[in-house]
Amino acid sequence: MNAVGRIHAVLRRELGAALDAPSAWVAAAAFALALQTLFFFAGYPIGDLRFPGLWEGRVASLAVLFAWLPPLYAVLAPAFTMGAWAEERRAGTEELLLTWPLATWQVVVGKFLASWLLLMVATIVAAVPAALVVASLGPLDWGTAVSGAIGAALLGAGCVAVGLVVSAAAREQLVAFLVSALLLAGAWSVALFLRVVPGSIAEWFYLVSPQAHFLDSAARGVFDTADAVYHLSLVALALLVNWRMVEARRRG
Amino acid sequence: MIRVQHLTKSYGSFRAVHDVSFEIERGEVVGFLGPNGAGKSTTMRILCGALVHDAGLVEVAGARLPHQGAAARARIGYLPESTPLYRAMRVDRFLDFAARAKGIGRGDRRAAIARAVEAADLFGYLGRRIEQLSKGYRQRVGLAQALLADPDVLVLDEPTSGLDPNEVVRIRDLVRELGRTKTVLLSTHVLSEVSELCPRVLILSGGRLVADGSPRALASVRRTALLVRFAADLGATRGSFDALEGALEVEELPSARGAALRLFAEDADALAARVLALVQRAELDLVELRHETPTLEEVFAAHTSGRDERFADREVNA
Repeated sequence: MNAVGRIHAVLRRELGAALDAPSAWVAAAAFALALQTLFFFAGYPIGDLRFPGLWEGRVASLAVLFAWLPPLYAVLAPAFTMGAWAEERRAGTEELLLTWPLATWQVVVGKFLASWLLLMVATIVAAVPAALVVASLGPLDWGTAVSGAIGAALLGAGCVAVGLVVSAAAREQLVAFLVSALLLAGAWSVALFLRVVPGSIAEWFYLVSPQAHFLDSAARGVFDTADAVYHLSLVALALLVNWRMVEARRRG
Repeated sequence: MIRVQHLTKSYGSFRAVHDVSFEIERGEVVGFLGPNGAGKSTTMRILCGALVHDAGLVEVAGARLPHQGAAARARIGYLPESTPLYRAMRVDRFLDFAARAKGIGRGDRRAAIARAVEAADLFGYLGRRIEQLSKGYRQRVGLAQALLADPDVLVLDEPTSGLDPNEVVRIRDLVRELGRTKTVLLSTHVLSEVSELCPRVLILSGGRLVADGSPRALASVRRTALLVRFAADLGATRGSFDALEGALEVEELPSARGAALRLFAEDADALAARVLALVQRAELDLVELRHETPTLEEVFAAHTSGRDERFADREVNA
């Protein structure tokens, strides 16, 4: 059987394991609840562009929803990726994967796709009802919504890839969760400082913050190819590092 | 099937395996012995591709490791120490995943799983979660997983450790059955298992290969002895035993009634004939005469009791 079949096997197992465990359900439910509350009631009171909640502002826009995705992904993505490698390591099953005739990169890609798929499904379940409510109330700008959705998919891929690298480095999944949540939340807060730091520093901030490449463009309905390239490069780099880390286990 | 030459592997400054060489032919069942930390698991993990060695040549089923690792791994079934499994999964789903991950195509998968399930005698347990199974059945799931791709080589790291006696017997029967068609390398601490299952034994100690041969040949390297027991005290004839040709040393053993002697000899058979001649001549009441070959435990102890010099520095430092 070819590489696709093996990746598919890993993907299926990861999804099965995630749906079997309560943590993924709890995390997805908490995410959906938080997103609804923030979108409809709280608005987005952070940064230079402040929005009221939907009921208060009465603007048929999903901007608030997209603005909240980066901080929520900082918690949700690690919840999906924390066990990916840390749990294999704790249970010793990593040794099975290393000694079966499948390539390490196939496992890495399978695990990435599984966590990404979970994150996307959780986002769709949480965001689509909100979008439909907005569309029923006023003229929703579907172009902005689609650009935001594509941006969210790219941002989610980056968050998941980072979470997997941390999981591969951690011995326990709780540590993996805390460290990757901290990393992603830190990168998000860096994006918030972009407007207030001097230009040369802002350039560095812009480089290390995947969220900045979402908030400044796709989340506002401006789809920028450069941002897509940034996110795809981040994913490629993270998966490469992930692959190297697992291969390094063979060196003892 | 397995060729290992001058294999060396270190973890940092700790030399786990040093200059180990052996070859295992197709169809051999070989026991891997050694104290904890002797390098058995490290060697097995290298053979199975979980670890990459520092130096030496390792070839499994004609594929050189680590470069042709995937080719070698496709021909090996491996049961790691303490049987790591996805414990939350059902047995059938786990085996299906293992078959897919091992690249067994859709057409062959069902047959491959059925064959492994039959070999490991797992019928009736397929719908259970692995964590609900007893240790013996988990071990069988581990074996079934190893057998899925119908490998030429089976590497089993302590397959019977921690099992109850009935389960041990079942796993041993299974290994014996598999040994008829496959090359098997198994490690164990249970020496009776080795003498029962393995025509050939490799003993590792301190990361080095210290013995390689059949359990019988290894045992015969040690001196053998005769044990003789009499119904009555020997009295004056006791001295005649010391004088027997070929008796290296005579040891008196405590005995409730009568007398018992242990005679060490290079050639125990020849000595036995002379003992019998003496018994007839002196009209002694012989009640027992038997050969005492050293047990595998004694062979093992003789080969592995030396100080593990890899730890020497650390003890000084500590």
